[in-house]
Amino acid sequence: MQRKFEQVLMPVATKIGNNVVLRSLRDGFLVIMPLIIVTSMFLLFGNFPIPGWADFWTGILGQHWTEWFSAVSNSVFNFTGLLSCFGIAYAYGKNRGLHAVNSAAVAIISFLILTPTTLEVGKKSYSAVETVFLGPNGVFLGIITAILSVEIFKFAVKRNWTIKMPDGVPPAVSESFDALIPSALVVLAFFLVRVLFSLTDFNTAYNFIYAVLQAPLTHVGNSLGSATLYNFLASLLWCFGINGPTITNSVWSPIFFVLSQDNLKAWQAGDKIPHIYNQQFIDMFTTYGGGGSTLSLLIIMLTICRSKRVRELAKLAIVPGIFGINEPVIFGLPVVLNPIIAIPFIIAPVVNTVISGIVFSLGWVPLTNGVMLTWTTPPLISGWLSTGSWLGSALQLFEMVLDLFIYYPFIKTLDNQYLRDEKAAELKDVDIDFSNI
Amino acid sequence: MKVIVLLDQIQAGLGGKEKADTELGGKKLAMGAADTLAKDLKQQKGDVMATFYCGTGYYADNRELVQGKVMRMCKKMAPDVLLVGPTYDYPEFAQMACEVGLAVQSGSDVPVVAMVAREKNADLLAEYQRQLDIVKMPKKGGTGLSDAIEHGLTLCAKKANKEDATDYISKYCY
Repeated sequence: MQRKFEQVLMPVATKIGNNVVLRSLRDGFLVIMPLIIVTSMFLLFGNFPIPGWADFWTGILGQHWTEWFSAVSNSVFNFTGLLSCFGIAYAYGKNRGLHAVNSAAVAIISFLILTPTTLEVGKKSYSAVETVFLGPNGVFLGIITAILSVEIFKFAVKRNWTIKMPDGVPPAVSESFDALIPSALVVLAFFLVRVLFSLTDFNTAYNFIYAVLQAPLTHVGNSLGSATLYNFLASLLWCFGINGPTITNSVWSPIFFVLSQDNLKAWQAGDKIPHIYNQQFIDMFTTYGGGGSTLSLLIIMLTICRSKRVRELAKLAIVPGIFGINEPVIFGLPVVLNPIIAIPFIIAPVVNTVISGIVFSLGWVPLTNGVMLTWTTPPLISGWLSTGSWLGSALQLFEMVLDLFIYYPFIKTLDNQYLRDEKAAELKDVDIDFSNI
Repeated sequence: MKVIVLLDQIQAGLGGKEKADTELGGKKLAMGAADTLAKDLKQQKGDVMATFYCGTGYYADNRELVQGKVMRMCKKMAPDVLLVGPTYDYPEFAQMACEVGLAVQSGSDVPVVAMVAREKNADLLAEYQRQLDIVKMPKKGGTGLSDAIEHGLTLCAKKANKEDATDYISKYCY
C-alpha cells in the first residue's frame, strides 16, 4: 500500500518540487516574507486588539501616532504586487543561471511599463500611479511579468546578443553593457504588450490578468475544498519523508498570499474582512506545533505514554513544539515512513481544517486579519493576534484537545510496542558502554 | 545480517540541535530513525543489532576519540555491516558519518555503508566518495527517501553476504 502510494506520489512531487517556475514562485515570496513579517508588527502595534489601546497611545504620542505606524506597513502592503515581481524575478533569474539583480531590475521596469500612469479625477487627468495597481491586486500580474521578462532576457543572453567590451574595461561596466540588448528586448516586448492591451476592451494588462486569472484562481483557492486538499497533501507527503508544505506552497502560495493581503487591506481600512481561507487560516487554525499538528501528539507522549523512549523524546521536543518546530518528533519518533503515526498525522490537520472552516463560515470567530505573524508564534497567542479575539484562541484550544483524541489510539499502539521492546530489553543489558573501550 | 547503525542526536530521537553535546553512546536496539530501517531490514532478513549515537557538537570536539571508540566497539561486537546515516543534508552529521565510517573501514574488518545527501555536502562527498561507499539519498524533506533506504540496505546485504556489489555501487553510490 505504502509502496503503491509512493509510486504515484513521488513522480508528481518530484516534478512539482523541481519545476523551476514553481520553485521560483516559492523562493520569490520568501524574499519578501521577512519584510511582510516585520511591517506586520508595526501594523499590529497600531491596531492591537485590546479595548482602549488606541486612546492610550493617543494620550501619550498625540493624534498622528497611527500614521507613523501605517507609513511603515504601507511601505510593503501597498506594493506587494511590485515586490512579488521583484522577488520572483530575482529567484527565477538565479534559478535560470542569470544575474539575479539584472533579472529583478528588468522585471520591475516591465511591471511599471504595464502599470497605468494617469489618474483621472473628474474631467482632469493627473500623472500619477495608483497603489491599487501595485498592491495585492497586482500580484498575479507581477508573477507573470517576472517570469516572462526573465525568459525574454534569457532568450537574448543565451544567443549572445550582447555588446562585448574590450579587455581592460572594468567588469561592472562590461556587465552593464552585457545587459543592454537583452534589456532593450524586454522593454520593447512589454511596450508592445501595453500598446496591444490599450487597443482591447480590457485597456490594461492589469485588468486582463486580474479578470482572467487572479479573480478566478483566488475564488477557487478561497474554499474549504482547497484548504483541505492543501493540508491533506502537505501531511501525506511528510509521511513519505517529503517536506509537504514545500510542494503544496509551490502551488498555493500565490493564491493564499493574495487572499491574506486582501484581508489585511480590509482590516487596516476598518472594512469587512472578505476571505476565510488564506495563509493565516492555514498557519494558525489547521496545525498546532508544526505539520501534522504534532503539539497534541507531544502532549500525549509526555503525559500518558509510558515507554521511556517516547517520554524522553517528548520531554526534549515539547518546548520546540510549542514554537512550531517539530523536527525532533518527525525524525525522532519517527513520523517519516511510520504507517501507524501517518494516519493521525494526516487526519488531524484535515479535521482541524474542516472545523475551522465551518466555525469561520458561521461567523463564530472573527476572520483572520491577514497580519503575518512569525511561524514560531505559539498557538493561543497566534489565534488571538490573528483574529483580534479570544474566540480565535478558544477555537485553537478546542482543536488541540480534539487532536489529542485523534492521536491517542495510534501513539498508544506505538507506545505499547516500544514498551514491550523495552521490557524485553530490560531482561538483557541494552546499554553499550563506550567508557572503557 | 546484523547491522549497527550510527546516528546523530536528532535521528536517534535524542533531541534537536540544542542537544549536539550528547556524548557517544549506544543501545542494543533500534532507536529513532534506525527503527524505520529495522522494518525494512526484516525484508532483507536482517536486524538492527545496535544503534550508536553521538551528538554532532560532541563529535566535533572529540573526533579522534569517537572514531577510535566506534572502531574498537565494532571490532568487539562484530556486526556484518556498519551503516553510517542516513544523514540527509545535515552537514555536521554527514561529516561525522564519513569520518567515522572511514575509520571503521580502515581499522577493522567490518564493511561500511554511508547514506548522505548531496546538498550542503558537495565538498565532503568529493573527499570521501572514492574511499567509502556512500549511497545517494535525498535532502531532508526531499523526494525518494524510501528508494534510497532500500538501496542502502540492499548494499548492506550484498556486503554482508560478500557478494560482488560493483555494479550496484556504480548505480546507487556517488
